Amino acid sequence: TAGNKIFHLGPCRVSMSTAEIRSGFTAIKANIQARDPIRTLSILSHPHSLHKVKSSDRCCITHHLFNFYVDKVFKHCKTEDSYVNRKISSIANSFLSVRRKLGQCHEQNKCMCGQESAEKFKQILANYEGLNVTSAAMKSLGELDILLDWME
Amino acid sequence: SGELYCSLPNPRNVHFESINMKNVLHWSAPEGTGDGVLYKVKYSVYGVGKWIRKPECRNINRTWCDLSSETSDYEEQYYASVKAFLNGMCSDWMETTRFNPLTDTKIDPPMVSVSSTEKSLSIILTAPEKWKRSPEGESVSLLQVYPGLQYNVSVLNKKTKKRWFFAVSNNTLVVPWLEPGTAYCVSAEIYVTTPLLHSGFSKEYCIATLKDKTA
Amino acid sequence: EDALLPAPQNISILSTNMKHFLTWSPVIVQGETVRYAVEFQGEYEREYANESWIPICECSLITATVCNITEDISATVAYNLRVRADVGTRRSEWGTLKGFFNRITTSLTPPLMKVIADGYHLLVELEDMGPAFQFCVVYWKKGQESRMQQKVVKEVSSVVHLDTMEAGSDYCVKAQTYVEAINRSSSFSQTQCVRAQGGRSMWL
Repeated sequence: TAGNKIFHLGPCRVSMSTAEIRSGFTAIKANIQARDPIRTLSILSHPHSLHKVKSSDRCCITHHLFNFYVDKVFKHCKTEDSYVNRKISSIANSFLSVRRKLGQCHEQNKCMCGQESAEKFKQILANYEGLNVTSAAMKSLGELDILLDWME
Repeated sequence: SGELYCSLPNPRNVHFESINMKNVLHWSAPEGTGDGVLYKVKYSVYGVGKWIRKPECRNINRTWCDLSSETSDYEEQYYASVKAFLNGMCSDWMETTRFNPLTDTKIDPPMVSVSSTEKSLSIILTAPEKWKRSPEGESVSLLQVYPGLQYNVSVLNKKTKKRWFFAVSNNTLVVPWLEPGTAYCVSAEIYVTTPLLHSGFSKEYCIATLKDKTA
Repeated sequence: EDALLPAPQNISILSTNMKHFLTWSPVIVQGETVRYAVEFQGEYEREYANESWIPICECSLITATVCNITEDISATVAYNLRVRADVGTRRSEWGTLKGFFNRITTSLTPPLMKVIADGYHLLVELEDMGPAFQFCVVYWKKGQESRMQQKVVKEVSSVVHLDTMEAGSDYCVKAQTYVEAINRSSSFSQTQCVRAQGGRSMWL
């Protein structure tokens, strides 16, 4: 069932539900990942895993990543499949409402960006820019479960 | 060895079958090939640049290969691939889809142990353990892997045929005020909300409340 | 292309318990079958994707004047919706819903509930309203309204056990739905009371 959870993002506690993003992604995961032939490169998880991010930097990285997906990724993921496009729209719009909740962390001044998160996010952008934009966007979308697994 | 002449039909339906993170690669033999087909297997960590051969699954004639050890880090995702050989010919490498142990594993139902008094049942639930390399290895409960794990317990009164359900967050449940000398059957399932996983109900464990001594 | 066909009018949303339907008045063309197409646009499409529209293929070239948009209204943001009429190759302008639709405005009805006393056990049966719904069940011993207890039921599987009851006592129960995705609850259902074993068993 939909599950609002209290996310512990370092010092910040924010109640939100990623269940709908998760179910939207699960519905198109095989389709999207099949469009990504590059096995040897990951946008989010290599060379540095998200799981190595310090607790205090979690909020900042999460906020950066949500902005990254909204600003850079979704718009380059249009496919010829209308069902997939509708699910991507559902995920993208869910990202907007979750990002709004993350904004609460900013308002509470509990979303500090440390050196490590800056480095990590720079690496993610470098991974992203290392590919052509459509491949990079499709690969990023195919890695949504990496983001969700780490967040949850 | 030099590359053989690769016109053998490909292995089919190459996929992971995973239960409690025991991750076994399965496939079907190439179409139209009788006995004698041999296979070799390789796997890769998604995002890392190399394929790794699995020596124990080299030149095997079975159509499965246990990659639990190689895919035990559930913070990573994986691909695996199979190639078939027969009479000097070979097939292409046939790959799985991307395998995420955390979301793609199936979870066994919990173990259920029930004891009774005259008027109550005490139920202890035990989540299954994550696959481990050896019996001596450290046991990791799936409760640690999925912190949001919960139980749904069903209690059936065999006399009245009425079934009740209990949502249980910890691993014990006491059902008081029952009828003495009555048979009850208990089964339980695990559910996780994110990622969404359901174990399905366990088999039923039946027990009778003790007879009322005063009656 | 001939756009003489009038655009659909009276476009509105019917949304109850997180099921959302777009409806409109039929476009009448004598002797012709009029078909309709529906598209939606979320906040993301407006703000980040050049105000693009996304067709709902289940409501493409339909003759009905209603479309189930539940599957696509799957985020708590403001959505735009529009409908167009087609007759053969003739096509109308888009008729657009006045104002946005956000699922947070869905109307939530109290759940159907049946309270059961089985010996000393208080149980409740709740209708399954879909994965978005949880239930907040409140129960108390009659006369002790100040000591109400509450149980959140997430997995609705037929008969849910609430608590044990004192012999012969009356217990009352009421329930409301809760939708986490929009962080809203319905009003409470009617209260139902039952009596525990060890006394006259009747509905009060």
